[in-house]
Amino acid sequence: MPPKRFTWYNGIGLTLALIFALFPVLWMISTSFKPSNEWVRQPPVWVSGDATVENYLTVLWPSALLEKRGGLTQYTEGGEQKVAEQTGVGGAVGDILNKSAWQAIWGSVILSVFGTALSIIVGLMAAISIARYRFGGNTTPFFILSGRMFPPIAIAIPFVVMFSDVGATDTYWGLILAYGAVTVPFSTWMLKSFIDDLPKEIEEAAMMDGMSRWGAHLRITLPLIKGGVIATTLFIFILNWSEFLFALILAYTKVSTIPVQLSKYFSATEGLLIGVQAALATVSIVPLVIVGFFIQKHLVRGLTLGAIKR
Amino acid sequence: MAIKLELVNLRKEYGALVAVNDMSLKVEEGETMALLGPSGCGKSTTLNMIVGLETPTSGDILIDGQSVSKIPVGRRNVGLVFQDYAVFTHMTVRGNMEYGLKVRKVGQREINQQVEKMASFVGLADKLHRKPAELSASEMQRVAIGRTLVTSPQILLLDEPLSNLESEMRHQMRRELHRIQLETKQTIIYVTHDQIEALSLAHRIAVMNLGVLQQYDTSYNVYHYPRSTFVGSFLGNPPMNFIKGTLKSAGGQRLIEQDGARIPLPSMKELAGVSDGAAVTVGIRAETADIVPLGSPGSFEAELFAIEPQGPEAVVTAKFANTLLKVVVPTSAVPKGSGSIALLPHANLLALFDTQSGVRLMNGAAS
Repeated sequence: MPPKRFTWYNGIGLTLALIFALFPVLWMISTSFKPSNEWVRQPPVWVSGDATVENYLTVLWPSALLEKRGGLTQYTEGGEQKVAEQTGVGGAVGDILNKSAWQAIWGSVILSVFGTALSIIVGLMAAISIARYRFGGNTTPFFILSGRMFPPIAIAIPFVVMFSDVGATDTYWGLILAYGAVTVPFSTWMLKSFIDDLPKEIEEAAMMDGMSRWGAHLRITLPLIKGGVIATTLFIFILNWSEFLFALILAYTKVSTIPVQLSKYFSATEGLLIGVQAALATVSIVPLVIVGFFIQKHLVRGLTLGAIKR
Repeated sequence: MAIKLELVNLRKEYGALVAVNDMSLKVEEGETMALLGPSGCGKSTTLNMIVGLETPTSGDILIDGQSVSKIPVGRRNVGLVFQDYAVFTHMTVRGNMEYGLKVRKVGQREINQQVEKMASFVGLADKLHRKPAELSASEMQRVAIGRTLVTSPQILLLDEPLSNLESEMRHQMRRELHRIQLETKQTIIYVTHDQIEALSLAHRIAVMNLGVLQQYDTSYNVYHYPRSTFVGSFLGNPPMNFIKGTLKSAGGQRLIEQDGARIPLPSMKELAGVSDGAAVTVGIRAETADIVPLGSPGSFEAELFAIEPQGPEAVVTAKFANTLLKVVVPTSAVPKGSGSIALLPHANLLALFDTQSGVRLMNGAAS
């Protein structure tokens, strides 16, 4: 297609699309800086005139907040009240404020990084053997995908049973295995599509030059589908980063993740900690935005790789 | 000349499918051999077995008299140029050309020398720094050929090298291959489904169909003396004419009769052992019959059906009994009007086939 001139109606269309897509994100960021009395006010507060970093402190550095306040704070819709200075408040509120979100952030990082690595390594090998050696005929690729055809909860329950039996619940290695297993169908199929687009002669040519099969796959196939691997990695990473169900039911106290932590700020007894949730959610998108920015080029190439005809 | 490559009862089965059926042939050093056949005839499988990408089910492959069946791909010192070029798109032209030498652990200085020599040989000396994405299809083809030739293979194998090029480039590349052939004196095996490519480049042609070697002979013989109706129909444009009929005798002369219409046969030793009543097919190449005055000795009559002028010559279609025949004649010899014409086949190029098997009759028996 020939390049088109950028016209004013393109501009309007793009702006509308951007507002539609980005409004929830902007609202989240705005809310994360609001004091508690502005979280759900009518009419809505667009940008707080009384911006505060307390939500972030609650998430990242609760001890500083405690020090500043000289005690725990009960959030209510009407504003904030200081409560029980010496003893600390028992129950959920105390838990939240006594324990920062760092455990959850750390958990998310560990599980997403290693879960994604596992998924990509297994997926890549599966994709090569399916695409190049027709491993398992026509049925294996289908069965690999079939795990994603049920509601996740249907798979989660057997996971709980199996994991309890082998003592894998509430451990990093257990959840890494689970994260890898749940995302492998996607990585296999995405990577397979990139390998399918690459003529197999290119590997045979390398083998003609004296490379081994493994060598040809590592030195020739892999660099040529680099964009696809990067796009797949980011995709799987986002899936793992936002995974909620498995972390909720397979982890209890030693392991936690950001989505699980977010859910803990949301409970009837302590009211809706919307601002705190927004703060943690904002923190959680930062790494994705940074990584996405740097690999933008590969991402676009990866997503359009299938469209480039050889 | 020494025998460079020998295939001995080479066979490849995929389950119940026999892709290559006990194929045997020899290729002399410095010769170009074309493997010709329709798609799916087993020619690419044969090629892949020679280079080692496929393992034969049975049979043997000898290079310089030594069996290479046990030698893995990449160690046989043969070079394959792929149909889709298989140029490494993440490397420059130089990167592609030096790749094979690097894998072979040749010193960098030697590599540079060789690559530059090869680049100018294939006409890419000024494009060594380019990425394949910046090259035209024919330049990609040159990269693929240069990359293979630079490793000085014992045998150069080309898999449908011209099929992805446009008509104009195809002519140019064919000349280019001809030059490479002459200058390198390389033993070349050339896989193609295009008879023109095979006839114009190869010394010998192996015609394959359904996994079976139909004929292996010099290009001249394969064209002029096809061993079967398949070979006759696969080569030539328009293809060989086939007239099915019954062998008869009349007044001491053998003839072929189809629905009462007759073609007199010249005296041929092939007819010696074939008795009257046999179902025989006559094969006449389009350019091996002349239009002669009606009643000329040895000629037979046919109804004029269509005339397609093609500049210096014309394709004349005539109907003999139930069979449409095409003959190519000089424009000056095109008959005027309509009605009957007389055709005189060139006696020495007339072919007789057993109708049932399609095999050519030779010295009195189907061979």
